[in-house]
Amino acid sequence: MIKRPFLGWFVSPAGLVALGLTAAMAAVFQFSLRVYIPGSLDVGGFTLQNFAAMLRPLYALAFWNTILLCFETAASTLILAYPLAYALVRTRSSAVRSFILIAAVTPLFLGEVVRTYSWMIVLGNNGFLNTLLVKLGFVERPVQMMFTAGGVIAALVHVTMPIMVIMLAAGLSHIDRNCEKAAESLGAGPIRVFLTITLPLSMPGIVAGFSTAFAWTFSAFATPQLIGGGRVSTVSTLIYQLGFSSFNFPFAASLSIIGLALSLAVIALLKQATRPLERLASAT
Amino acid sequence: MLMHTDRMGATAGSEAGRQGQPAVQLDGVTKRFGNSVALHEAWLKIQPGEFMTLLGPSGCGKTTLLNLVAGFLEADGGEIFIEGTLVTETPAHQREIGIVFQNYALFPHMSVANNIAYGLKTRGIDRKQIARRVDEALALVRLDGFGDRKPRQLSGGQQQRVALARALVIKPKVLLLDEPFSALDKNLRGSMQVELKQIQRELGVTTIFVTHDQGEALSMSDRIAVMSAGRIRQIAAPGDVYRRPADRFVASFVGNVNVLAGRLVERRGEVATVSVGDMRLEVPAAPLAKLAIGDDVDVFIRPEHLAVTSGRTPGSLCGTVTTQVFQGDHIDLYIDITGVARAPVLLRAPGIAALSSCPAGADVGLTVGSDDVVAFPPEAREP
Ligand SMILES: Nc1ncnc2c1ncn2[C@@H]1O[C@H](COP(=O)(O)OP(=O)(O)OP(=O)(O)O)[C@@H](O)[C@H]1O
Ligand SMILES: [Mg+2]
Repeated sequence: MIKRPFLGWFVSPAGLVALGLTAAMAAVFQFSLRVYIPGSLDVGGFTLQNFAAMLRPLYALAFWNTILLCFETAASTLILAYPLAYALVRTRSSAVRSFILIAAVTPLFLGEVVRTYSWMIVLGNNGFLNTLLVKLGFVERPVQMMFTAGGVIAALVHVTMPIMVIMLAAGLSHIDRNCEKAAESLGAGPIRVFLTITLPLSMPGIVAGFSTAFAWTFSAFATPQLIGGGRVSTVSTLIYQLGFSSFNFPFAASLSIIGLALSLAVIALLKQATRPLERLASAT
Repeated sequence: MLMHTDRMGATAGSEAGRQGQPAVQLDGVTKRFGNSVALHEAWLKIQPGEFMTLLGPSGCGKTTLLNLVAGFLEADGGEIFIEGTLVTETPAHQREIGIVFQNYALFPHMSVANNIAYGLKTRGIDRKQIARRVDEALALVRLDGFGDRKPRQLSGGQQQRVALARALVIKPKVLLLDEPFSALDKNLRGSMQVELKQIQRELGVTTIFVTHDQGEALSMSDRIAVMSAGRIRQIAAPGDVYRRPADRFVASFVGNVNVLAGRLVERRGEVATVSVGDMRLEVPAAPLAKLAIGDDVDVFIRPEHLAVTSGRTPGSLCGTVTTQVFQGDHIDLYIDITGVARAPVLLRAPGIAALSSCPAGADVGLTVGSDDVVAFPPEAREP
């Protein structure tokens, strides 16, 4: 075996962090199995009651809404990001490439709160978008965008855009251009080449980008909380309300656990469903 | 296999032949990338059914020329005709050209049969006929029964054949092949060369074949276009390219050749006489037109055209054997001829007699046993 004298030094900080995370997860897990004592921060004995309560329509609905929101966000991001990623990979102009890269990636460097506030400025009744629409005469009165699912989705798309563009671009750049040329020489026009060759072959990037956007949206908190303003309830806002308004830590913990399991399940399902496509496309 | 000839072989190419049009014609086609000229005024006429090879070192513009014919690149100057029709502005998908890439570029997400059917589907042919023609194409490349496989389940040679079938099934006006065999191992390459040549002849499809392997070019082509630095240097049949190279680039790129220092002695019409040491040789006069009697020339002699003489014969060269290399059916002798050749001269002695008669260090005489000798002005004078 090769001696790696500094390996221990390099790995131990990461090991500590991993240990901390595992401990936190374990704590959440054990909280989820406790009895909630109203009016107290302490918890009671072990129970499965929290998980059973999850089946109540109120919570089931929150889960369903969250999944819907995640799908809508991921799908919107995909549709908006695909042309950008395509242009990024295919353009010959380095100016266009830099522009797309900067425009698509900067949201990564804005904190979630800053980004959310800027969307509140854009979406508010006296905000940028409404002022514009009214001035241009498209609408008479401001359209309600704050505190709606649409507003939340718009802001979340902004969050997931960079990672989606990057993953799609990675997928697109792996496509063998000769395949497209071959299709072209066989009589396929640009649209046919795109639909029969480029799109199926970019499936791995689409699956990766979509799953990531889905998972990010599922765990997003500040955006649905601030822009939804309590009127758009997701699993994470629900966890916040239960944990920090009612101090029902056990139930908040069990919601977290189920939320995590659910988002992993959806992603696994997604992977499974698109697997044939993905496998075909990646085997070059 | 002959069964398929009449069905698949009725390419549009042979019809155009009856009208006397070249299958492909390039009139002064130029392509630039930024400031660098990738192809400089290429003039080329390819006859229907002809197997034309583009031969040249890496970066000389072979792929560029192919891409221009296929329509993947736009020419900066000149015109391209396919079967007499101007196609310079025609997009690739309307040119009806079959193309095989070095990496095959099979569609990884489609079965072999669907790969081959792709070009037929774009033409809106009905399903029954597609199925029949796919089967024919598979039979043509000896892959019957492989239709349901995925490309990744095939060997390199099989993938190559699928790519060929996919390109041929649409009955292309021209078949373009860009170094199709360079990814195959040597044995497979040999058998694919034979197979391709056989299929090409059977179908009579006009073919442009790109390679930087001169052996491949010499053995397969009807004519070869030798290219260097974006220019076509010579277009001729393989034998003529080998025996009568048009310039010193072609002479040194195609086959092995010895360059000896000589002098122009006499010029009589088509033929000139040059001297190399005590030896006098007749060469074509055309390349030496700009020189005066007495000027230096470089004389190009193939290794197999040199012979060893015993002792000193008048009008021969003398040198010293530096190395002998046993090659099985022949012996390579490297001979030092001071004052005439800068590097040791390579001589190809048939049989194994030379092994004992010409040991390293022996003084030998050299004669030239062929009239396929060419001479060119020394390097600096080449335009
Ligand atoms: N898309 C491009 N952009 C800029 N320069 C290019 C491009 N394609 C080719 N070139 C240049 O044009 C010249 C000819 O390239 P080409 O690909 O035709 O060479 P080739 O003869 O096919 O070489 P090889 O045997 O290596 O494939 C090269 O100098 C190459 O660098
Ligand atoms: Mg090339």
